Amino acid sequence: MSDTDTIEPSAYFFGYIGVASAVVFANLGSSYGATKSGVGICSMGVLKPDLIMKSVIPVVMAGILGIYGMIVGVILQGKVSSITAQSASKQGYAYLSAGLCCGLSSLAAGLSIGIVGDAGVRANAQQDRIFVGMILILIFAEALALYGLIVSLILSQTS
Amino acid sequence: MNWGNPYNWDAAEWQQATWGERFMFIDPYFWSYFGVGLALATSIIGASWGIFVTGVSLLGSTVKAPRIRSKNLISVIFCEAVAIYGVIMAIIMIGKIQTIESYPNGQQDECYTTALFNGYSLFWTGISVGLSNLICGIAVGVTGSGCAIADAQTPETFVKILVVEIFGSALGLFGVIVGIIQCSGATFLKNCTS
Repeated sequence: MSDTDTIEPSAYFFGYIGVASAVVFANLGSSYGATKSGVGICSMGVLKPDLIMKSVIPVVMAGILGIYGMIVGVILQGKVSSITAQSASKQGYAYLSAGLCCGLSSLAAGLSIGIVGDAGVRANAQQDRIFVGMILILIFAEALALYGLIVSLILSQTS
Repeated sequence: MNWGNPYNWDAAEWQQATWGERFMFIDPYFWSYFGVGLALATSIIGASWGIFVTGVSLLGSTVKAPRIRSKNLISVIFCEAVAIYGVIMAIIMIGKIQTIESYPNGQQDECYTTALFNGYSLFWTGISVGLSNLICGIAVGVTGSGCAIADAQTPETFVKILVVEIFGSALGLFGVIVGIIQCSGATFLKNCTS
């Protein structure tokens, strides 16, 4: 029935795809967020240089997404290396799913943070009262990546 | 569970296997976990799409009408709810996936077919829930964007457009309800039959 000595090799294939996709997609999202917001900061900083440091917040929030991807990548890498023989292919697919969950969620969150951050910093330069609203929307966008991280960590616990 | 050779085929039978038969050898656990990943990832893509569509309009309109800022954050919260639907469904689906450790003697075929049923069920649950939430997020986002712009010009329109948003947000709920019913039959049993 189940051969306890040999580990199904495809488990490592799918597991490592999970590791790679967590890091790659999270970094894609993070870079999009930082770049798009950064362009907005550069545009509005020409006329309102005092607001530049306050406006760096979207860039910081986008940077956190890369950290989420790295955390999940490191955790999954440890799990993939120690796949047990009894349910090897199941574990491999679970780690693939974990990597995709974290990576694609962070990508989506990064898109959102970038576009909202760009519009937000430009609007903040014209109207002071927008700052709090921009921060609130950015927090909601960041929470999306957190949901992906949570589900990834749940999936990485499969045995 | 290492299926190994589910139908106990030898090399000659493998050589004349059709594509349909090879398709059936894709592991049921792959379908299950991929369904979980799809449910979550597409829900969150929908939520993020909605958030940035609404957020941009909200921030732009608030420049000239600062009073609309706090009221229109409710559109962003509707989009966040779509992401939470995805998380709930993903956790429900993860709870359904167990390791099959053994099967009764001589019932490897039945066991594998049951596992395939469970796997397909979870995969398509992921598709139903994920795509519904993707579309719901976009719908709520576009409506919320219109709501912010209209509210900036005419405050009376806010509540009326909010009703439209609530109808849009019901799409995600339909997806979750159908998804729960769809994956209710998918139970991986430890001994495959009990």
